[in-house]
Amino acid sequence: MDWGRLRFFFSEVWRNFTRNLIMQLTAIGTVAVTIVLLGGFLFTRDTLGKIGDDVLRKIEISVFLSDAATTAQADSLIAKLRADPRIASVVYVPKNEGLRQMRERLRGQIDTSLLTSNPLPDALRVRVYNTDRVRDVAATIRRQAYVANVEFAQDAVQKLLRLSDVLGRIGLGIVTLLILTAAIIISNTIRLTVFARRREIAIMQLVGASGTYIRLPFIFEGFLDGLLGAALALGLLDVARYQLIPKLVVALPFIPLHAIGINEGSFALELLGVGAAVGIIASWLSVGRYLRA
Amino acid sequence: MISLRAVTLVYPNGTRALDAIDLEIAKGSFVFLVGHSGTGKSSLLRLLYREQLPTHGQVTVDNVRVERLRRSKIPQLRRNVGVVFQDFKLLSDKTVWENVAFALQVTGARTKDIMRQVPRVLDLVGLAHKSRMFPSELSGGEQQRAAIARALVNNPKILLCDEPTGNLDPSNTNEIMDLLHRINLKGTTVLIATHNALVVDRMRRRVIRLEDGRIVADEERGYYHAANAPADADLPLVRS
Repeated sequence: MDWGRLRFFFSEVWRNFTRNLIMQLTAIGTVAVTIVLLGGFLFTRDTLGKIGDDVLRKIEISVFLSDAATTAQADSLIAKLRADPRIASVVYVPKNEGLRQMRERLRGQIDTSLLTSNPLPDALRVRVYNTDRVRDVAATIRRQAYVANVEFAQDAVQKLLRLSDVLGRIGLGIVTLLILTAAIIISNTIRLTVFARRREIAIMQLVGASGTYIRLPFIFEGFLDGLLGAALALGLLDVARYQLIPKLVVALPFIPLHAIGINEGSFALELLGVGAAVGIIASWLSVGRYLRA
Repeated sequence: MISLRAVTLVYPNGTRALDAIDLEIAKGSFVFLVGHSGTGKSSLLRLLYREQLPTHGQVTVDNVRVERLRRSKIPQLRRNVGVVFQDFKLLSDKTVWENVAFALQVTGARTKDIMRQVPRVLDLVGLAHKSRMFPSELSGGEQQRAAIARALVNNPKILLCDEPTGNLDPSNTNEIMDLLHRINLKGTTVLIATHNALVVDRMRRRVIRLEDGRIVADEERGYYHAANAPADADLPLVRS
């Protein structure tokens, strides 16, 4: 290892980096904003996905039996449904149990003592393995004898999934635009450095420095812009994680924010990677175009 | 060492800088390229270090066909061809030592080679004692000597000088020509574009004269003005 060569390389990088400090800070700031939004977007997408999964996992088909059904007929229907490979579980809720559960649910909201008779039919609660099949399974059940009605929270789930999909697309669009903006700003910063050092570059070319050798300090400068921006963003995201999210969890208890299992290590590495890659690609293109001309 | 065959150079604006040039320069030569401004001297030099491509013809430098050279091979050619300019082209924020070392550093030389080579060339050009000074602290002649040191530090086989004494007074001019002569004696081929008649006439070396992009005279031990040799032609410039 020739330390002199390494020292010369890094002194070149440092000179480039400090020559245009304001522009460097602008580039780093843009990358940081981009990465914060990217992190926020990924977090929101994960959260919505989690909520969707949660709802889907809980989705059940309520099957109301006709009053004419005897216990034996109900049993035979249950056995038939349990034999269906798409169905995960079938729970029998007799009308008395149904009423008790309803009273429990509505306690304090409605005076259920006014109910003198039980208006509920016997019911089955059916869960499926694959939530995509809910509709099929419901249709199958509806065709069975002694089934009065079949209900499931189809619309709500579909709306949630559609929302998650639309938000995902919008977020991806915004993040793509921001990454492009960051790339353009880094590219301009590097071009300014290249311009400020055009005499040195001309002399490097004159004395026979290779293209790679001339480019490398500028590429490294772009890499630093991207990496420092991403590191700054990670710091901000960390503050959000430890200051903001606990407050949100208290304020919005119905959203399973605490359940988000982001792998912090690989998530951080991914964001750093995105920052560094944007910096390298932007500076590569910028320097390449200048040196070819 | 240098060969041009039917070389024509036409710039995009239509200016014909060089017109059907045929030229051979042997290894170890000391050659003047003379002519008025705009006759194609600098253009011819630029072809030799591949700053410019000919429109037609062949350019060969040290057995390399320059006009066919791939972009990635240009650095290799330039390490073999040192170039010196009228305006020195030194980096003002680097010392003499750093300016010279820069040429080695950017070509990936090892530190121990830099530590050996830089003092050697600074000694050769007589600037060892001023190696820590910045270009602005040097006279024009000293700056040109620093530029020559930088051009030589890679041990090129050829040294191209484009009006090397154009910015210098007579005394500094003599010193620089003396230095270039000594470099030539060590085996480096030296090609100097100049319109300093005094220098050419005192040195009495091969003189190639260009007019309107054509070679109009090529003489061994020539004068700047072929027909009317000046009276002081025999005065030796180089102190031996």
